[in-house]
Amino acid sequence: MKKGALIFAHNNRDVDYALMSLISGGLAKKHLGIPVTLVTDETTLAWMKQSNIHQRSTEVFENIITVEKPVTENQRRLWDGVELNKVVPFANANRASAYDITPYDRTLLLDSDFLIFSNRLNEFWDSEEDVLIADSMNDIYGPSRVGYHDKYISDTGIHMFWATTVMFTKNEYSREFFNLVNFVRSNYQYYGDLFRFNTQQYRNDIAFSIAKHIMNGFETDRTTALPALLTTIDKDILHSVDSNGKLTFLVSPMFDSNMCAAAIKNTDVHVMNKQSLIRNADALLELI
Amino acid sequence: MEDQLQRALNFANYRQSFSIQRKTLKEKIEAKLTYGFGGGIFKIDRELISFTQTLIDKERAFGVVILDQNETPVLVDDLQHFQDDIISRYFEATNEYFEQYQNLKKSRTVEKLLDL
Repeated sequence: MKKGALIFAHNNRDVDYALMSLISGGLAKKHLGIPVTLVTDETTLAWMKQSNIHQRSTEVFENIITVEKPVTENQRRLWDGVELNKVVPFANANRASAYDITPYDRTLLLDSDFLIFSNRLNEFWDSEEDVLIADSMNDIYGPSRVGYHDKYISDTGIHMFWATTVMFTKNEYSREFFNLVNFVRSNYQYYGDLFRFNTQQYRNDIAFSIAKHIMNGFETDRTTALPALLTTIDKDILHSVDSNGKLTFLVSPMFDSNMCAAAIKNTDVHVMNKQSLIRNADALLELI
Repeated sequence: MEDQLQRALNFANYRQSFSIQRKTLKEKIEAKLTYGFGGGIFKIDRELISFTQTLIDKERAFGVVILDQNETPVLVDDLQHFQDDIISRYFEATNEYFEQYQNLKKSRTVEKLLDL
């Protein structure tokens, strides 16, 4: 059974997802010992060539697959610490195509802001579960910063899984699962009315959670999941990365400008502050 | 950015950073105690180790079905081999935990806490 990781990257004018994917893919390849495939689009690929990361990308990625960039009206507020933010477009609507695109029998689908520094996820390759999704987010500061809508898709809705990490086997069940994710995406307003969540921004986490809920017979089963994601939110800042792989963060306990410091090493981490991740790209690339 | 770090270090009281470092250390150790075997996922803990020892003592060491952390039945052909694996991992993880926790406790400043 061929196993590998798959990462999607569609740049916008503010975020270099291709660069983040190179880092994320390189770390996954190094620490999990698996091949990695990048899914991107022609304009992002052109930017990779222009910004001189294409050569490195061909070394890191086993395949670079180009697809149509998904048309999106999706926008998100991008925070860089507590003081800076802007609204940017966000092309994330084609994640459900992972099933058709993946060249692997068992695939680890990763967000480009998830950095792997351990081999923990290797324990899940042989799991008999066809689709595994991260159970929850585990805030670096502690549960006091985890809001209700980080745990449930809405005030009255179901448990939210985090599609930052998804592992699936290419088989009939997974195909149906991804078809269902796509169906939820296509009928997002309907499901928003049904489950009472805000439909302003399409979130893969929500679509995957609903699909998992439905495929499980309209029940939530949290026992079969990938581990919770150690997460630094976008109001935290990745301050520095040293050559030993230590990541130092500025953490905002109360979401204000008073911050405390934290450092992690040899631990997988979800870095939601993309700008600070990109500022540390050179140091991170040294680690792959 | 350096100003921000300085402000952070000034603001951060020792316990706050200690708490985060202890939490992330625990996270790292929990990762090491996750064990995939025979299609199942096990959390290596004292209960699993004791249970496997009980089965071995009762001479049920071959072709044993045990439940993983999701209550999924998993066939273990050679329980002694399985137990050797989990004990080895358990001590590797707990020894590392002990060592790094001692280092954390000895670190009396935020800067030292961050100096992993």
